[in-house]
Amino acid sequence: MKVLIVDFGSQWTHRIHRTLKYLDAESEIVPVSTPVSDILKADALIFSGGAMRMGFGEDDQTGNAREYLEKFSGPIMGICAGQQFIGMHFGGKARPAAGPEFGKVELMIDDKDELFDGLPDKFTVWASHNDEVVDTPGFLVLAHSKDCSNEAFKSKTRPIYGCLFHPEVEHTEHGSEIYANFLKMAKK
Amino acid sequence: MAFNPEKFIDEAISEIKKQVGGGKAIVAMSGGVDSTVTAVLMGRALGKNCAAIFVDTGYMRKNEPERIKEIAAKSQLNLRFIDAHEEFYSALKGIVEPEQKRKIIGEKFIRIFEKAAKEEKAAFLGQGTLAPDWIESGSGLRATIKSHHNVGGLPKEMNLTLVEPVRELYKDEVRKVGKALGLPELIYNRQPFPGPGLAVRIMGEATREKAGIVREACAIAEEEIERAAKEGKMLMPWQYFAVLLPIKTVGVLGDARAYGYTVAVRAVESFDGMTAKACPIPPEVLEKISNRITRELKEHVNRVVYDITSKPPGTIEWE
Repeated sequence: MKVLIVDFGSQWTHRIHRTLKYLDAESEIVPVSTPVSDILKADALIFSGGAMRMGFGEDDQTGNAREYLEKFSGPIMGICAGQQFIGMHFGGKARPAAGPEFGKVELMIDDKDELFDGLPDKFTVWASHNDEVVDTPGFLVLAHSKDCSNEAFKSKTRPIYGCLFHPEVEHTEHGSEIYANFLKMAKK
Repeated sequence: MAFNPEKFIDEAISEIKKQVGGGKAIVAMSGGVDSTVTAVLMGRALGKNCAAIFVDTGYMRKNEPERIKEIAAKSQLNLRFIDAHEEFYSALKGIVEPEQKRKIIGEKFIRIFEKAAKEEKAAFLGQGTLAPDWIESGSGLRATIKSHHNVGGLPKEMNLTLVEPVRELYKDEVRKVGKALGLPELIYNRQPFPGPGLAVRIMGEATREKAGIVREACAIAEEEIERAAKEGKMLMPWQYFAVLLPIKTVGVLGDARAYGYTVAVRAVESFDGMTAKACPIPPEVLEKISNRITRELKEHVNRVVYDITSKPPGTIEWE
């Protein structure tokens, strides 16, 4: 199994790679300019976070990523700006966050689904975002925080997930388990 | 799969041999865990064809030059010691902006290494670059958070080919490699220290005088925090230090007016340096640090503050 990590320029893109490596999953960090034909060979995709402000509509540097969303039918997970981008692509509204979050955040799970399977109802995660995505048609919200109504979501029709927080960093509790749950879906 | 340091060491040594071939290399050594691990890996791979270079920039920790010589002797490294105080102080004269500081320091290092390499007839430069160094230095879509002197601070033109055996690793992993290499715990568990040294713990111009002040302030903070951790009063932080601020405030010393600088104390807990949170220092320990700094540095500092910011939004160091 091979996971491609589409690099939106996060400080933590390489941490995603490390987390997957520790879970025995092969992964490679690839640029947004990667041809779709190469993307289609992967078993799962992860869109990293990045400094682009989706809340200001700054998606001009996302390369071929919209095409990946249209053509890749396997599991996809978006992190932070990656989540906002996915939500926006499918008709949601990215905007400057009502409450930007940096550092420690208490995550409250609304629907465990497969992504949060086996995890507590509440736990501490680490976030770093100026923007958020709301009103995402066709998506189900899986978690929220005090300041943010959409911390995690999933598509109702396809295996597409997103987390606004960062499960790949050490200070996020159960982060590695979230990726392990995602990998389980990719193995199916 | 957990990280396997023994396997990493074997692979790194054969990679270094492959890259350098029959050539000669120098390796930059600061005395921290990353560069010491790199120096030992290169020493094992290249033997006599590798010389370790220590540059005393004038922004080193207290007693560091002596400590380096000891470490090098213990690790059987062929060490060359270069005193470059004056060069660094004059290059940083009048420089305030943190990115500019880091770039000047990066360039200065490389010019010194180029000269040393010429003398050693070496074409390769070993550096203890870790993943966070090139991540935070930015490139392409990735924003520059700070230009690490060994990556974003490198000059565009340089005559040396880089050898960076630990560049995919994080601090926790390089520590495991250090342990597996048989380095003393004092080295492999040593707290991180920024490549540009105390120059980035002086906000504003990094003069010789201020380097002296922050060196003492850091030594006091380190000593008291280490003591408190040893006595079980607090957890041993991942990194802990003092920063010299350019803000002057009014104080009163011995019934006379004082007008001196401010020192900030910081201690964080982290795992890999990519996220961090403040590591609580008990009030009595803070008080002791504040007392000692303002007494022992009374000519210069009359106020001490405590930084409790996490990363993000802060970074661990202030510049």
